[in-house]
Amino acid sequence: MRRLYGLLVVVSLLSLLAFGGAAAQEEKVLVVGLSEDYNGLDVHRAYEPGGSLIHKAVYDTLVTFPTDSVSEILPNLAESWTISDDGLVYTFTLRDDVVFSNGDPLTAEDVVFSFNRMKNLKDNPAFLADGIASVEAPDERTVVLTLAAPDPAILAKLVFDAFSVVNAEVVRAQGGTDAENASEVDTAELWFNDNSAGTGPYMVDFYEPTVQTVLVRNPNYWGEAPYFDRIIIRNMPEAATQKLALEAGDIHIAMDITADQLPSLEGNPNISVFSTQSDTLIFLLMNQNPEIGGPVSDPKVQLAVRYALDYEGLKLLGGAGTNTPAAMVPLGFAGALDASEALPRDLDKARSLLAEAGYPDGFTVDLRYPDFTYIGTQFSLVAQKVQADLAEVGITVNLVPEELQVSLEAYRGGQHGFGLWLWNPDYYDTLDYVEFLPGGVVGKRANWTDENADATILELRDKVKVETDPEVRNQLFREIQLYEQQSGPFAPLFQPGVHFAYSAALKGFNYNGQWRVDLSLLSF
Amino acid sequence: MSLSAYFLRRLLLAVPLVIGISLVSFIIANLVPSDPMAANLGERAAADPEIVAAFRAKWGLDEPFFVQYFTYLRNLLSGDMGTSIRTRRPVADELLRYMPATVELATAGIIVALIVGVPLGVISAVWRNRPIDFVARIISLIGVSAPVFWLALVALLLLYLRLRILPGPGRLDAVIPPPPTVTGLYTIDALIAGQWRTLGNALAHLILPAVVLGAYSAGLITRITRSAMLDVLSMEYITTARSKGLRERTVILRHGLRNALLPVVTVIGLSYGNLLTGAVLTETIFSWGGIGRFAYDSARSLDFPSIMGVSMLIALVFVLTNLIVDMLYYILDPRIRL
Amino acid sequence: MMRTLRIQIARNPLMAVGVVICLIWFSISLVAHLIAPYGPLEQNMVNRLQPPSQTNLMGTDQLGRDVLTRVLYGGRISLPAGLLVIIISTVIGTLVGAVAGYAGGMWDELLMRGTEVFMAFPTIILAMAIAAALGPSVINAVIAMVLVWWPNYARIVRSLVVSVKSNDYVEAARALGASDRHILFRTILPNCLAPAIVMATLDIGNAILLFAGLSFLGLGADPSTPEWGRMVADGVSNFDQWWLSTFPGLAIFTVVMAFNFVGDGLRDLADPRVRKARG
Repeated sequence: MRRLYGLLVVVSLLSLLAFGGAAAQEEKVLVVGLSEDYNGLDVHRAYEPGGSLIHKAVYDTLVTFPTDSVSEILPNLAESWTISDDGLVYTFTLRDDVVFSNGDPLTAEDVVFSFNRMKNLKDNPAFLADGIASVEAPDERTVVLTLAAPDPAILAKLVFDAFSVVNAEVVRAQGGTDAENASEVDTAELWFNDNSAGTGPYMVDFYEPTVQTVLVRNPNYWGEAPYFDRIIIRNMPEAATQKLALEAGDIHIAMDITADQLPSLEGNPNISVFSTQSDTLIFLLMNQNPEIGGPVSDPKVQLAVRYALDYEGLKLLGGAGTNTPAAMVPLGFAGALDASEALPRDLDKARSLLAEAGYPDGFTVDLRYPDFTYIGTQFSLVAQKVQADLAEVGITVNLVPEELQVSLEAYRGGQHGFGLWLWNPDYYDTLDYVEFLPGGVVGKRANWTDENADATILELRDKVKVETDPEVRNQLFREIQLYEQQSGPFAPLFQPGVHFAYSAALKGFNYNGQWRVDLSLLSF
Repeated sequence: MSLSAYFLRRLLLAVPLVIGISLVSFIIANLVPSDPMAANLGERAAADPEIVAAFRAKWGLDEPFFVQYFTYLRNLLSGDMGTSIRTRRPVADELLRYMPATVELATAGIIVALIVGVPLGVISAVWRNRPIDFVARIISLIGVSAPVFWLALVALLLLYLRLRILPGPGRLDAVIPPPPTVTGLYTIDALIAGQWRTLGNALAHLILPAVVLGAYSAGLITRITRSAMLDVLSMEYITTARSKGLRERTVILRHGLRNALLPVVTVIGLSYGNLLTGAVLTETIFSWGGIGRFAYDSARSLDFPSIMGVSMLIALVFVLTNLIVDMLYYILDPRIRL
Repeated sequence: MMRTLRIQIARNPLMAVGVVICLIWFSISLVAHLIAPYGPLEQNMVNRLQPPSQTNLMGTDQLGRDVLTRVLYGGRISLPAGLLVIIISTVIGTLVGAVAGYAGGMWDELLMRGTEVFMAFPTIILAMAIAAALGPSVINAVIAMVLVWWPNYARIVRSLVVSVKSNDYVEAARALGASDRHILFRTILPNCLAPAIVMATLDIGNAILLFAGLSFLGLGADPSTPEWGRMVADGVSNFDQWWLSTFPGLAIFTVVMAFNFVGDGLRDLADPRVRKARG
């Protein structure tokens, strides 16, 4: 036995010597470290930011954003489009040179199939298609999209990966369908994990859950061929691991770097760091229903909380790139108040507001929150900071960390009296933040409804939803945010920075809030 | 009683155990004041009653408790462990996918524990109450006292980050593709495929987590070996062997250790349970895609079918290791045969 | 008395060291509020993540709290939690084991099969499920640990009861017309308690270790409460700030090791073979 073991060691050492050097690979490989947040690669079920990174490389959408911003809509599969005067009918003209990875040409029929499948699968992204009344293909190169009501944000929504166009014939052959009852009869979901049927520069080679996702170059790509032959996305759940692997040269990009890791990376000449403000808004929710919210349902207490928070300290917690939005629209969205317009910390004011509300000696309240880390923001740390801040004005906060899903359910059900949450834009338009108003998705979670809200905010809300003139829209959003600062069940905490670190030799790195990094544009 | 009849009886006894475990885990899963819907549907989808209803019907969440439980048992008998709500793949497939990584790690951990523990225990017993015994006992106590998650961090910090002598987390370097799957154990598969570089890399990646995971068992094994050796060395046949003029080394290894191994075997069996607890922590820190990590992710997303699956699997491992321990006893100790 | 103690220390210095470290940690926990340089919840955002220095001997954490202070306070949670788990488990295990061993037959089978179910259940998964169900807290972590811990004692006590049951004095008590309850609790159990208590002492270290593991996974104390396992977890995402996890980890390590030293010594004392060998 011992002899066998010894032999084994010798053999493996010898072979290391013999093959170690020779195994240098001819093909060009990009290795990305990512905390895997997706469970599958069916693009019409896509919802997670991590998945976007992959879908962007494998699929195309009708329209797109520039590679480094989400500020304008650019043509992609559609070379042009027209919008009817009533804002209901969008007519897209497809490019004529696009082919799928198997060589089939792109037709309008594929677009119709893709949009309908996404909508009828009724999975996470399906709400994005809610306003779409019909999609039709009058001819091979024309797609007609009809809306139920005007939606100024529809083009931005179409950039979302779930609106990616797949090869209808191939997906149908794998059990995919765009029928009404697709959520019950579609069986293509697992096929997508090891295959793809897109028009993007890469194809899915295979997906090994929690280990890695491997993409290979699409030989039939209609655009400019990408530099790398193969892209390996390694699942590395811990930011610390990603940093180590990057420093050791095992990976080329670390997607989940945290602010506290930056100082030690900045001195490293082999590594470049990219920090920017994220679109994630971290906020406190104070339930409007007195039975659920208790003291925090009182508007005076809500304002007192907004004055009691140490925004500067919270900003330090988020690290470089972190900003404090002035109200419930994150910086970077059209119409957002400037950071300088944010409420200052004013403990005396907070105390007098509490006294006015009948709590001169403060009160005790549970703060419920999901116990997880999102883009480097540890919720438990934020909660502890809030606890300490509010203690200064006499409010005793008991921390109640919850498993994400348990917490989510209570939050979505409007059961959180005092909660700590985040909101990511579903699509890149300020309209998404109407959800924080009475009757909106988040508004309802704070039990802020048409019944208990005052007329001012209801009127502003109804106006902004249908306004298409950008100037007027921005003015309306401004008024809404000024209202939110003084009244309402939310307190904005901060917009954490988002950080990436990558090999300094890598060229073409650009960030965009939708898909983060376009891997197909990278090279050495 | 014949060997086969004995084991048949033991196997039959395992049936109520497995049913009991399935019931307990089912009850716990249903105690949770929440349902997996929230965990597995996005922000907007969960607000749409139609999508929610479709989701509930699809996963049978709208049935009463006992109906759900009996459906589960019935499917289980036909080998169907249900589909994971989180990953949407069959639970049986998932278990098969993650099991090999944990088997590889746990086995390596046990090997480390044996390589360290048995010699240390023997030395400690032979030179009882000498300084070397003292040192061996301290080492073994350190092994059972260090928190596995902390040991993992310290080891990574020192050996990977500072000294760079061992590879970091993961089962292979990022640039090395896994070998073609036969057993799912990278080391064995690489050996089968003749990919020596992959083998070397997989072995190197195994060292840190295996040592960390095996530390506790190593301490335990040292302790047990020592006390078993002390027992055996005071037996008459040892005295007899010595008086026959056999070399001390032969006496200790051939006559002493062989008989002292029995309790060690038991400890290895019981250690598997400990290893699994350790595996959840070790796999988390070492990004090791095994059952421990899968269990952790499943529990966090209230993925009932997966939690049930993992629990059943572990129960099965528990039963099997106990059975194997018994079998080894049977082989090693002739007295039981009477 | 003093002489015996001195002899014990000479024979088993490790045990003496263990006792001393345990006493030190218990005293630290009792007087943490007197000796800690700062408050355990005192935040200082400007001074966050500072390495060990003269003002903060073990550095500061992400919220600028003094790590040393929190390490000193940490024992206030871990030590009682570990002890509580062992005490409750011993009580439950003893009761179940005693009834099973004494009643025998069907009751024995039923109780012991039930015991096996809980033994085979992976602690961590159970704890995670319970934390998900009831919310993470020290009490819930203790409940989860007790659920998987008591069967060990049930097994031991059962086998002890079975062997004591056949003794003459039990027969005598029965002949005198004592009730089953009287025989079990007054005659049999007192004779089984000593080994069970030795075993329980041996397990305290393990219980503290497992509790730390659960807190590490976020299944224990509320995050602002200074607790060692939780503090080590803070260091996982911050490898660069090595002091975050190193010091609380060392605290767990020394406490558990001290208990193991004591337990090891106790075992030797209870083990006639060792006594004989030392003659």
